[in-house]
Amino acid sequence: MTSTLVAILGLALLGVPITLAVDRRARGALLAGLSFLYGSGAIFLVLLALSAVNVRWTPAIVAAAALAVFAIATTIAMRQPVTGGRRRAARAHVIDLLTLAMLACYSLYATLAPLWEWDFWAIWGLKAKVFFERGGIDWRFLESRWNIFAHPDYPLLVPLNFDFVALAAGGWSDRGPGLLFVAWGAALLLVARALAARETSPLVAALLAFALTALSLSLDLGLAEGALIAFGGTGVLLVREALREDDPATWRHAALMLGFAANCKNEGMALIAAVTLALVAVSWSRERARARLPRLWPAYALAAPWLVLRIAHALPTDIVGGSVISRFMERLGDAPEIFAFLAARLHRPWFWGAIFAALLIVPAAARRRERFVLIATGIQIVVFVTAYFVTPYAVHWHVVTSWARLTGQVSVPIAFAVFLMLAGSSRGEEGAPRSDSS
Amino acid sequence: VSPRRALSIVALAALAAACIEPRLLRMPFVDREASARELTAFPDRKWPQYPRFLEGVRDRTHPGDTVALIVPATEWYGGYSEMYFRASYLLTGREVLPLMDPQNAPAPENFAAARYVAAFGVTLPPPAEVVWQGEGGTLYRR
Repeated sequence: MTSTLVAILGLALLGVPITLAVDRRARGALLAGLSFLYGSGAIFLVLLALSAVNVRWTPAIVAAAALAVFAIATTIAMRQPVTGGRRRAARAHVIDLLTLAMLACYSLYATLAPLWEWDFWAIWGLKAKVFFERGGIDWRFLESRWNIFAHPDYPLLVPLNFDFVALAAGGWSDRGPGLLFVAWGAALLLVARALAARETSPLVAALLAFALTALSLSLDLGLAEGALIAFGGTGVLLVREALREDDPATWRHAALMLGFAANCKNEGMALIAAVTLALVAVSWSRERARARLPRLWPAYALAAPWLVLRIAHALPTDIVGGSVISRFMERLGDAPEIFAFLAARLHRPWFWGAIFAALLIVPAAARRRERFVLIATGIQIVVFVTAYFVTPYAVHWHVVTSWARLTGQVSVPIAFAVFLMLAGSSRGEEGAPRSDSS
Repeated sequence: VSPRRALSIVALAALAAACIEPRLLRMPFVDREASARELTAFPDRKWPQYPRFLEGVRDRTHPGDTVALIVPATEWYGGYSEMYFRASYLLTGREVLPLMDPQNAPAPENFAAARYVAAFGVTLPPPAEVVWQGEGGTLYRR
């Protein structure tokens, strides 16, 4: 447990200069949250790079590589001019204590026992343990046709973070990665809290962060969901903020977070596409789209290495195996039954009911203001549902084993946007944007 | 208060309430030792001896060794895959080979390629060389 805490602290420290290299103005909750996320993403890239050049992972080598990244990022950060106004860090509110209490409860949950979920020991933990014992990524393991059950095509940010924890501890433990999930969730909450404080009162921002706790803290311990919710949620919220303020540094943060989300799970890859399409949809004019879309290049650049390695090692993706189109056409006839089953198995139906009701209640201007988050979330859900129409597995089995997790992946940004819309509407505001975001 | 404002306040409260996760709220009050025992045993609840057997196999094999797996389940989705996946996790470093594929077709090439055979709940006929026996299974060398 202590070694995991040291590893988490190390990741957060590693991320501080990276955050400041992207934006010297970052401070307070935003700096703390982004620092851990950048540290987590950076250590993934460090371990991936060491593996790519066949350098065996040892605590000394990984520490040296991380120190080099730290030094380079510090140098870049110190050369960065502080452009734009420095923002004051968000003021704390007594409600934040409730959020802290929820984080404490989640810490108790995350450290209850060795991670027990099937997907931990059959996918994410299995790969991490194999790589840890080998001292690097075991391509032979990933390429073996007998290991297809472990989804060799899934990106490796999460297993390599587990490996960093094991390297810090000096050995593998099924209990080791538990606290990482607390850190990922806490990082997202810090970012959401800081962003909310820029556009609403400390009370509402604190209430919003508290409401987001259960959505940000994944109960699926040992899986990639916790990290994907954190990176993906942060990425979408930062794109929303970048649209609000058109701030280049916020665009950079957003794109980098989306890039790391793509390295958590294939759904993160889809999220980049969903965000791109949503940006096109809200940009109206070709000039605006031309100005905004290139800002996402860091997301694509971060997603690219794993895609290249995946193709180079011919790692198969089960969902697109066989004839995707024929499966889709066959299942179109079952569409009413599939949709009914999805509705019946909807996780947190009260939450989604409240979201839909709220969207009907709030003024049209507020909905327009939040159309980026609404469209991006909608596109991502369409992607999820389409996957059920093309899956090579039995649809019911696939829905039962994944639908709750998938809807959980997209719930933070929409909850954030809807909560702020409702808070504004309950104060009698019409939801006019504070700056031109369309 | 306009109807929209009133509805917004109700919806805000409903949204906040819908976000609450009761499982987390219960955490400070659970019996941690009992929960830990239950969750630790959860992956192997159907075969409590199996992880101890695999631990024995791990102790007697080396990284890089190939181990074919024989278990009572005779169908991939009827238990074999689960025991194979579990063995892959608990025997990392060794190459664990299944003796059937997901379509239940035998994979004799894996038996031929294996240096060891780990048989849990099944006894192989002689002349296989027994390396170790215990915890409901036997490790054979080929």
